Amino acid sequence: MDSNKKYWKGLEELNRTPEFVEKNKNEFAEPLPIEELLSGSGLSAPTPRRDFLKALGFGVGAVTLAACQKVPVHKSIPYLIKPEEVTPGVANYYSSSYEGQAILVKTREGRPIKVEGNPNDVFSKGGLSAQAQASVLDLYDVNRLQNPKIKGVEAGWEEADAYVKKELAAVAASGKGIRIVTSTVHSPSTLAVIAEFITKYPTTKHINYDAVSYTGIIQANQNSFGKAVLPHYNFDKADVIVSFGADFLSTWISGEEFTRQYVSNRNSKSLANKKMSRHIQFETGMSLTGTNADARITTKPSEMGAALINLYNAIAGTTLAGSKATGSKKVDTAIMLAAKELVAAKGKALVVSGSNDVATQVLVNAINSLLGSYGTTIDLDNPSKQYAGNDATFVEFVSELNRGDVGAVFFLNVNPAYDYYKGAEFTAALKKARLSVSFADHADETALLSSVNAPNHHYLESWGDANAVEGYYTVIQPTINPVYSTRQAEHSLLVWMENPIKDYYTYVRKTWDSGLLAKGGLAGQKGWETLLQTGMVIAAPVAAASYTFSLDLAGVAQKILTQGKAVAANGDKFELSLYVSPAIGDGRFANNPWLQELPDPVSKVTWDNFAAMSISDMKKLKLEEGDVIKIDANGYSVELPVLAQPGQTQGTLSVAVGYGRTNAGPVGNNVGKNAYPFFSLSNGTFQTAAVASFKSSGYKSPLAQTQTHHSYEGRSVIREATFVEYKKNPAKGSGNEHGRKDYNAESLWDNHDRPVYDWVMAIDLNACTGCGACVVACNAENNIPVVGKEEVARRREMHWIRIDRYYAYNDHGDAEEAVSKEKEIDKLDNFDNVSVVHQPMLCQHCDHAPCETVCPVLATVHSSEGLNHMAYNRCVGTRYCANNCPFKVRRFNWFNYWNDARFDNYLQGEHTQLVLNPDVVTRFRGVMEKCSMCIQRIQAGKLKAKIEKRPLKDGEIKMACQQTCSANAIVFGNRNDPNSEVSKALASERTYYVLEELNVQPGIGYQTKIRNIVETEAQA
Amino acid sequence: MASHSESIIREPLITGKDITYAKITNDVLRPVENMPGKAWWIGFSVASLGALLWVFAISWTFWFGLGEWGLNKTVGWAWDITGFVWWVGIGHAGTLISAVLLLFRQNWRNSINRSAEAMTIFAVICAATYIAAHMGRPWMAVYSLPLPNQYGSLWVNWNSPLIWDVFAISTYFSVSLVFWYTGLLPDIATIRDRAQGLRRKIYSVLSFGWTGSVKTWQRFETVSLILAGVSTPLVLSVHTIVSMDFATSLEPGWHTTIFPPYFVAGAIFSGFAMVQTLLLIARKVLGLENYITMFHIESMNKIIMLTGSIVGVAYLTELFIAFYSQNEYEQYAFANRISGPYWWAYWSMMTCNVITPQLFWFKKIRTNIPLSWVLSIVVNIGMWFERFVIIVTSLHRDFIPSSWAMFYPTWVDVSVFIGSIGVFFTMFLLFIRVLPSVAMAEVKLLLKSSSEQSKKKLMEEGHVVPAEAEFYIASLEKFDSVDQSEYLKA
Repeated sequence: MDSNKKYWKGLEELNRTPEFVEKNKNEFAEPLPIEELLSGSGLSAPTPRRDFLKALGFGVGAVTLAACQKVPVHKSIPYLIKPEEVTPGVANYYSSSYEGQAILVKTREGRPIKVEGNPNDVFSKGGLSAQAQASVLDLYDVNRLQNPKIKGVEAGWEEADAYVKKELAAVAASGKGIRIVTSTVHSPSTLAVIAEFITKYPTTKHINYDAVSYTGIIQANQNSFGKAVLPHYNFDKADVIVSFGADFLSTWISGEEFTRQYVSNRNSKSLANKKMSRHIQFETGMSLTGTNADARITTKPSEMGAALINLYNAIAGTTLAGSKATGSKKVDTAIMLAAKELVAAKGKALVVSGSNDVATQVLVNAINSLLGSYGTTIDLDNPSKQYAGNDATFVEFVSELNRGDVGAVFFLNVNPAYDYYKGAEFTAALKKARLSVSFADHADETALLSSVNAPNHHYLESWGDANAVEGYYTVIQPTINPVYSTRQAEHSLLVWMENPIKDYYTYVRKTWDSGLLAKGGLAGQKGWETLLQTGMVIAAPVAAASYTFSLDLAGVAQKILTQGKAVAANGDKFELSLYVSPAIGDGRFANNPWLQELPDPVSKVTWDNFAAMSISDMKKLKLEEGDVIKIDANGYSVELPVLAQPGQTQGTLSVAVGYGRTNAGPVGNNVGKNAYPFFSLSNGTFQTAAVASFKSSGYKSPLAQTQTHHSYEGRSVIREATFVEYKKNPAKGSGNEHGRKDYNAESLWDNHDRPVYDWVMAIDLNACTGCGACVVACNAENNIPVVGKEEVARRREMHWIRIDRYYAYNDHGDAEEAVSKEKEIDKLDNFDNVSVVHQPMLCQHCDHAPCETVCPVLATVHSSEGLNHMAYNRCVGTRYCANNCPFKVRRFNWFNYWNDARFDNYLQGEHTQLVLNPDVVTRFRGVMEKCSMCIQRIQAGKLKAKIEKRPLKDGEIKMACQQTCSANAIVFGNRNDPNSEVSKALASERTYYVLEELNVQPGIGYQTKIRNIVETEAQA
Repeated sequence: MASHSESIIREPLITGKDITYAKITNDVLRPVENMPGKAWWIGFSVASLGALLWVFAISWTFWFGLGEWGLNKTVGWAWDITGFVWWVGIGHAGTLISAVLLLFRQNWRNSINRSAEAMTIFAVICAATYIAAHMGRPWMAVYSLPLPNQYGSLWVNWNSPLIWDVFAISTYFSVSLVFWYTGLLPDIATIRDRAQGLRRKIYSVLSFGWTGSVKTWQRFETVSLILAGVSTPLVLSVHTIVSMDFATSLEPGWHTTIFPPYFVAGAIFSGFAMVQTLLLIARKVLGLENYITMFHIESMNKIIMLTGSIVGVAYLTELFIAFYSQNEYEQYAFANRISGPYWWAYWSMMTCNVITPQLFWFKKIRTNIPLSWVLSIVVNIGMWFERFVIIVTSLHRDFIPSSWAMFYPTWVDVSVFIGSIGVFFTMFLLFIRVLPSVAMAEVKLLLKSSSEQSKKKLMEEGHVVPAEAEFYIASLEKFDSVDQSEYLKA
């Protein structure tokens, strides 16, 4: 449309005044005042605009520069060419072996992060000890020797090789002896290397030296049956087990294997068949095995021998010359009862002794022979090769050194400067050798004395093999490139002897190709590859023959009695009994923070050794727990804090060896005191008992215990029954004798939906031995921080799973009326008859979780799979959840354990952090954490099933704690599936839920503890 | 308010001769309008040293982590929540005095309500610092507020008593602050009118343009009444909710339905004790004997005795119910309080809260100023122990004996607590320097009806029954601020 509307902006425009027309010719209607500004006071004003801008610019720039820190450079080199087998985010498993036990090593992006049992392993069928679990941490230990050293100075390998070769040549020329001192070697390849070395240098001798040896047993078998072997015991075939101080579930020969065997006669399956083995333990201090015994008789070291003689007499129906009562009426009565039971179970009986005395072991052989144990519970034809050390040869070696007969000595996996009972003598003698080479991966006590350090690989970096028991061959394959400039000991030996094969891998292949592969029906490259996948070869076992003992025992009995007399304490002296720490072993693991913080399964002490003493003695001597006493025995003395140990034999002290390392590394140095010098040599073997005097030093050294209240106060937290009762009514003692009560019937709460999965757990208290391997497995799986002694003492350990250990006192010898309340315990006089129960305790994943309702920010919530989740990022750290958790399983990050100088030595090392599981975040200071039911494993399992387009199989997902448990005490699975293992386990009459009366609906069901107590014992 | 004459037998609320409105203003504003004296400086120095200790200890905690406190895996709360509940409890007296007593027309509250309310506000601030400090990640404290966020429906947990706490405490603080400030307006205006220069400007802003017109006064009265109405339920609700932190949990010793009334009584108990502690000093130092009289002191002592007895009954009820429940955990929790490793804490609590307040049955004791002051401190100590007993002795031995543990405080725990007292006194001492510590306007209301001089005038004018007058004179004997000789003559 045509329009002549005109818009205007002002009257000037409308009227088109001359000024307007004139002005509108220019871009700017009015001139800009530039001239005025430049010539005027604009620039010379006190703070002109430019100066202001300059100052501002400089200021901002300066502040920015000052605030700038160098951006940290993260050295992460992506794969330029991705190795075929490595997919970021997906774990690879390699079969290998740890101390002869087949394992699987979990690696992520080329770094081993966890060790898991190989389900086909003959020892524990997938179970793994705490030490094996912790071994992966040692790989990344920044305190390992990172280069070879000559006389304490770092050198290259070529230099070291030249030096050693030159010295070896000189020694060989002088005709002096060469000694290779190792802890027991059962690796076929290593033995072959040593044999070749001996061929090359004929003056060489190989000495097996075990700090804690089984010479007694080996020698006794040589004497009795002409076979110098360590037998393979079959605890699973034994209905009656009598142990004299052998801690066979933990530190004695093959603890994991024996645990599996032992539990197979005591677990749910066995109980369902109305079968349960009977276990009688005579011991001095309370051992892990003792805590599991059905009957435990406190016996002094000096009484052990006489007790064994009496047992022999009772079984054989004779009386050996010199036999006498032990001096303890209780022991004598118990021996008679044990004899009766053993005889009744002939062929299915087993007597073991922890003694290292040849005569004692000969007598044990005689007893076992009478009981028909050979060929059934004891197998001499497929012997164990785990320990071959001979004490006498090492003692002889030290005197050779002293005489100057030894020119060169090689130390492989041994540390005699620390653990030889006459360490000082050894140290002095070693100086007389021209060449001493230590293969130790740490600058340990012996390595420091050696002229050459040729640091060995960690086993996860090595090739190798093992043959821990006759017919069972396992392979060791590397799972990572060497972290430091180390070299495998065997490789070094091959180089030094100038062997044509210098590469140990080739050497191992050769060994396997020439015979070992064939034992498993394998051959060639294909056979080798199969081996690397399966990790083992199992040769058909030789039939175990029966052996009859036929020697005269008169002299043996005499020796035993003399031995007993030697350690009998008179007056105010005590009998000192030395034992191996279940956590840090013989001292080898001292620098491993996971193991140092693993509570001792009995005393729950971490980061220390101590003198265990009976409560009665402490009352008499007016000692309190933590009081430091100075113990004097065999010309050596140490100061150790006292621990009140229920069940400790009166008049005895027990001290663990393995502590008091001085050159283990920053973690293990000066933790506890060295007890090895208390050893003595008697009849050619090291003895672990001594007569000790002690006096109070007047000061205290508090112990860091994870549990300080030791009785369960008669609460239904622990439920138990005797085997006799169980046979009558399997539900006996579980609280469900009259049917299961539905605590949820009157609930105000709606049930959570669990449409597909309901993850729950069943824990069999009768299977759990309390060893604590699960604790370390959980540490490794879930990146649980180590907090150190002080923080444990302040009750702040971070373990997601713990083993609660409770004592009850059977003052009248009657387990049914066991005293478990603090106030009643205080009135007791007799602390000898103790029954113990271990209860693994972890987040119960309650369906009515008390923690969930109180969290103000919904940081802990329930999942649709029956789990109690923890959202670390949401947590503000009020700790209300932990307060309201009736199980007290929640753990708070009091400090930033991952970046705080006070916790430097534990898991913060430059390389140590590589051990962390990338599937689990580390938690920052101020947030709560707890067992997640290995949620990362559940997710991975579900994902795998989904990718493979199939339903998840029962048992496919295993919790870290469950997986490592040799006793199979833990079953995890889906409760929604009525056929799952866990559903079946929970359906047991023995099942009860801890604190179920609170109706928190715990997701973990426990099966009652059953004790195979014989009525007649009541009088014992 | 009441302009008619009051019954002679009621004790006077203002004592002294020749009290005029001007004199009241002069007396009350003396500390505000003059330089502080030596006593104040000493007190302030000590208090601010305490506050500095608090700053140091809290910074230490934030820098190194909560591990610097003595808490452990079993005892997750100890001195922190003890301190929190203690401070919140102390605050309650202020609200009770200002709101409940106003509604009940208890005119004697007029001379103490200002300080008591100030005490409330400072105590709640101290309590709030504990809420932030006890968190593992206080920088994430915002998560406890129901703010819209980028996480979709991620909200706070309305089931959690800690969330109720957040609302209870913040409501309490804001209402108390408004109530206190509203009451301050006429008094600030008074200061403004007497001040010069910058002071005048500041007080002028602070007085919100108070004019003193009839309409202003009328609205003031209405607002006061409404706020009193709003605050009154808070007196009950805040500590009820605080008690629910414990009562709704599962812990033996916490899971108790008696907690709400018991906590409220305890709060008033401790609050009055704290008011007593503060005012007995302030009265002397600031020369307010005529406005805060023996009548006030005795009345507060009576309330302390009453609430102390209620608390005592609650303690005994708890014991009885624990026994009667036949619940082994509950029974053990209480047996453990009485005779466990923390028996001394339980018996300190019993002695300080139940036994010593009973001394106030004796008139001699409840009208004795030094003794009243000492006993008020004893009650404060006892109430601290009460919270310690409830929190620590319940937690340290609960269901699973393996986890039983002891709690030992570290120097940081102790410093934070002592420091919080320093913070409180710093704020209180600053308060009496800048704001009138007695509600002048409200006290003036009483001058014509309830003061000693007005009653004396009544007697002199012969409007009083002689027997009643005698009774009245007898009741004056306890007053330290009354010149007894005047009545002897008569």
